Amino acid sequence: MKKQKSINQNRVWISINYLSLIIGVLLFYAVKILHWPLSYLLFEIGILGVFIVSFFKAFIIPKFWKTVHTSLENLDEREVQVVFNALRYAYSIFAIICLVIIYGFAIAKYQPIDVVIAGSLLYLAHSLPASIIGWNEKNISMEDD
Amino acid sequence: MKSRKIFNRISVLRKERNVSRKELAEKIGVNFQTVGYLEREEYNPSLDLAFKISEYFDLPIELIFSAKPLKPLSEEIIELKNKFKGE
Repeated sequence: MKKQKSINQNRVWISINYLSLIIGVLLFYAVKILHWPLSYLLFEIGILGVFIVSFFKAFIIPKFWKTVHTSLENLDEREVQVVFNALRYAYSIFAIICLVIIYGFAIAKYQPIDVVIAGSLLYLAHSLPASIIGWNEKNISMEDD
Repeated sequence: MKSRKIFNRISVLRKERNVSRKELAEKIGVNFQTVGYLEREEYNPSLDLAFKISEYFDLPIELIFSAKPLKPLSEEIIELKNKFKGE
């Protein structure tokens, strides 16, 4: 029960993190392309707050970020296996997302890709492996002893 | 390649010796979560790790790990006793 709760919690925070990123980017482009009032960009501050909090809750506190970004020498054999699997899936997902965005911009004639999309893709490239681990890993606490 | 499930007695042995997951993990050089995965038989250890565990518990590796579901240790000891008596 505790294990399931832990997995669900991870998934909720990961979903909130990516949702806040998507909403933030969409809002930026709504103002830029659809000429929504500039005051709408003030909502970005709230979205940024949610994004930062969910980033810490989803990746930093459960140590998924550290697991992915640490040297392999600091991981045990199961963790190495988990990280390799996560990187494998992340590579495929990231390639598909990149292609969709690049083709989407090319078709919609909004080239070149600007710093917001580039920054979001950079964040996605770094966070996807950690989110795949967070989505699947049972983050069992020590009280389970 | 999907490997077959390896059964083990790590949980029983750990509780019998009153060792926490964290202590066992430190002794065999893995994360304490990995001990949980091993106990729930959701992860098959490498040969090296299996030997480390058997050395830690000071028991033969075949008493801790098996490809078939394991009987309770007491039952197995009685069977071994009977086997030696028969010989």
